[in-house]
Amino acid sequence: MSRGPDRIDRRIALGLFLGGFALLWATEAAVGFVRDESVYFAAAEQVVRWLRLLLQAPGRAVSDPVTTQAFDFNHEHPLGMKLLFGLSWQLLHQASGWVRPAAAFRIPAFVLAASIPAVLHAWGSVLYGRRAGLFAALCFLAVPRHFFHAHLACFDMPVAALWLLVVYAFWRAETDPRWWLWTGLLFGAAVATKHNALFLPAVLLPFTVHRALQASAGKPAARSLLEQLVAALALAAALFAVLALLLTPAGLLRGWAFLSPPTAVVGLLGGALCALAVRLRATDEGTFRAVAPLLAMVFFGPAVLYLVWPWLWYHPVDRFAAYLEFHATHVHYAWMYLGHLLREPPFPLDYVFVVTALTLPISLLAPMATGLSSLGGRAAAAVLPGRWRRPGAASASEVLVGVNALASILLISLPDVPHFGGVKHWLPSMPFLALLAGRQVQLAGDALGAWLAPRLGRLPQAAVTPLLAAVLLLPAVTLTAHVHPYGTSAYGELAGGIPGAASLGMQRQYWSNNVTGVLGWINQHAPRGARLWLHEVNGLSFRDYQRNGMLRPDVQPANGPLDADVAAVQYHQEFREQEVAVWQAFGTTRPVAGLYIDETPQVVVYQRP
Amino acid sequence: MPSPEPAFPRLAAIQGAGFLAVALFALGFQLWLPRVLPGPADDRAVAEVLAREAQPGDVVLLHPWWTERARLFLPPGLPIIGYFGDEGDSLLEHPRIWVLSQPRLPFTPESSFSRAFLPGRTPLGAERRLGPYRLGLYRNGRARPVRFSAAEALGNASASVDAPDQGRVACVREGAGFRCPGGARVEASLHEVLYQPTRCLFVLPPGGPGSVEVTFHGVPPGEALRFEAAIVWEHAWKHGPHLTPLNAELFDAGTGARLATLVVEPGTEGFVAADVERAPESLRIRVQSNNAGERETCLRLRALGHREEGG
Repeated sequence: MSRGPDRIDRRIALGLFLGGFALLWATEAAVGFVRDESVYFAAAEQVVRWLRLLLQAPGRAVSDPVTTQAFDFNHEHPLGMKLLFGLSWQLLHQASGWVRPAAAFRIPAFVLAASIPAVLHAWGSVLYGRRAGLFAALCFLAVPRHFFHAHLACFDMPVAALWLLVVYAFWRAETDPRWWLWTGLLFGAAVATKHNALFLPAVLLPFTVHRALQASAGKPAARSLLEQLVAALALAAALFAVLALLLTPAGLLRGWAFLSPPTAVVGLLGGALCALAVRLRATDEGTFRAVAPLLAMVFFGPAVLYLVWPWLWYHPVDRFAAYLEFHATHVHYAWMYLGHLLREPPFPLDYVFVVTALTLPISLLAPMATGLSSLGGRAAAAVLPGRWRRPGAASASEVLVGVNALASILLISLPDVPHFGGVKHWLPSMPFLALLAGRQVQLAGDALGAWLAPRLGRLPQAAVTPLLAAVLLLPAVTLTAHVHPYGTSAYGELAGGIPGAASLGMQRQYWSNNVTGVLGWINQHAPRGARLWLHEVNGLSFRDYQRNGMLRPDVQPANGPLDADVAAVQYHQEFREQEVAVWQAFGTTRPVAGLYIDETPQVVVYQRP
Repeated sequence: MPSPEPAFPRLAAIQGAGFLAVALFALGFQLWLPRVLPGPADDRAVAEVLAREAQPGDVVLLHPWWTERARLFLPPGLPIIGYFGDEGDSLLEHPRIWVLSQPRLPFTPESSFSRAFLPGRTPLGAERRLGPYRLGLYRNGRARPVRFSAAEALGNASASVDAPDQGRVACVREGAGFRCPGGARVEASLHEVLYQPTRCLFVLPPGGPGSVEVTFHGVPPGEALRFEAAIVWEHAWKHGPHLTPLNAELFDAGTGARLATLVVEPGTEGFVAADVERAPESLRIRVQSNNAGERETCLRLRALGHREEGG
């Protein structure tokens, strides 16, 4: 039986997608550029320049020196999203002038972000019911920080969307033909977006093994082919281990050429897996569907990454190794947590859980947390011996949701993983938590309705769950509207809101974007040609504020307080010295304006007397 | 279409009621929060009181420490203290402290603030309520008259670099400070030490065995001295074998006798301090670190009079 949603739910999902997309676009103009975003804008423009060269002089464009030069900038991230940002900018701004540059870059990100509520509804409606799916969809985008990150031409929300899409496709592939292929292609898109996706195969492997064992039970031919698949993988791993022992891991990477033993091992493995997969499909479709999604991920992941990232074309192994190395040894930026500036590992194990709890609106945190714990209990119940087993044990599909709800959270919780940046780094977990929240609200709402109906005669039982869902969503929507476009400053009620979080000693904001809160004052009051120091706003963002009409074009960027007439300092505990440097340079501690959200200083403006 | 069936319907109904309670709490919180935030009229009321009643030497201490919006509207010239950990600051240069608090803000515990702030402080009159603000005036029993401050006396000081291979070379006066050989520098400026903005003697040592020396004359003799040294900003936190301790020594410039030695090890955040019972008439500070990288030093040397009566 297909796991696809019915016609009504497909329409609801489409409506959620279109509504989400329109909402993001409509609210985009006020959102500032986070520290990295202008770098991605610039990288996307570079992609367009290379594409133009590809049309004019294809031979030159695809050469090693040109691809190296063209894609060296920001090579720490794959090209997938930057390619889309660039094409959108070329089409919607450069060629047509339909939208301002920033909106043009961001539109592909809106598409992916808006797909999250759509997929959540499509999945949730089948897994738990229509109301559960709808609540999951709405609650994801109602979280202030999710809503903020959904606006950016960055990679965090896109990779969260693609993570969800891959797992959804993986789930559909068990019953629906061709979804194994979608799983592989979507995984390719995910790894071409951000490195988080590289962990997906490890997350999905246990489910593949479980499915394969179940599907091949009592089918010796299929089981034998599965064993041969495992043997081929084990043999390849053993050969790589031998090569690494002989050559050292670094030597293996250095000496990996097109015609070399490691390429031969990979080629033979690929051939063997393909042949075995074809035979498996002919032998038993069910077992094939169990393993095909992961096999497709193994094939299409590297293939898509390689195809869309010309920087890898001539040096795939060493550059991919350098890419991994960059993220494995990423610098640790200072980040405030409960009164401590986290500067270096080991980071507190509770960080991700506490920050999640403090930043989510409590009315959404409650169903997410109870949904996850309920699933944990029901999953444990499923493996209990018969007489201890209770009704409502978790299905494998639900365990898949639960494992993905925890995967990114647990990964970022590792004490050596960089912790700066806050929730955006474990965003891929959040859609799955939303799904569990949907189930919990529907279940609790229905039970409450059944209890209330006989007592409150006039209240239709069916109205209770939608009412409960609306009441739960309302505080989150209110908070999101209140804090927009400063979503990285948002804290939920458990933190005491934004002022409570300031007293708890939490990070006040992300870097750069909140400066939009004072650009209006600067545009109105800065002297003509004034030298302006926008603290923590890089030169590219300064240019972007000007070319998007958010900052007066006559204002000149200053390098620091010493050569500035006006300074806008972002409140970060780790940057206090820089505000003090403004006091010293300007001879005053009295600001002239500022962005204060619920009393908390976010960006403070000083003018040289 | 499946619909999850609760294993325990009553428990699920209680959970639904719980969700409803949480949502109502969240809505209540969002309605309540704006009511505890001050408005322009409240700001004006506070500013008027302080403009009318503040005296020279007074200071305003913010509680919670981060409510620095007050800098926008409080009377100019009135120092405002608001940094993480400021409730423990002795504010020794200020005999009276105005505490401007917003006690109804979430997670603003009075008890921990009072525990750190109140010892040695006496309320002067009743606390005033100005909208969500509370404004209280305290006599600061921890205050000490500052008879001498190296940062303020730098204009009359001399500075030199003493290197084993070059001997003593005088630094060149540049603005309010000195530029010295070997990249060394001395100036009086504002810096952050463990989140605290402080005006101090900012010294960049030359590195190696050489040191910067700053000599002051006309120090009020007989007063107690407090000598403090810190590395500024994030440089203080940094540690590792490439960084070396900072050595700051205080001498009687007349006799050459060493009065105090401070060692700031890499990774030490905040001031290290030493007290000297009686100040001589002239003082010399010597600052040295083998590796001058990231040893941006903030020195405070103050001669402190006795606590005032009633303090």
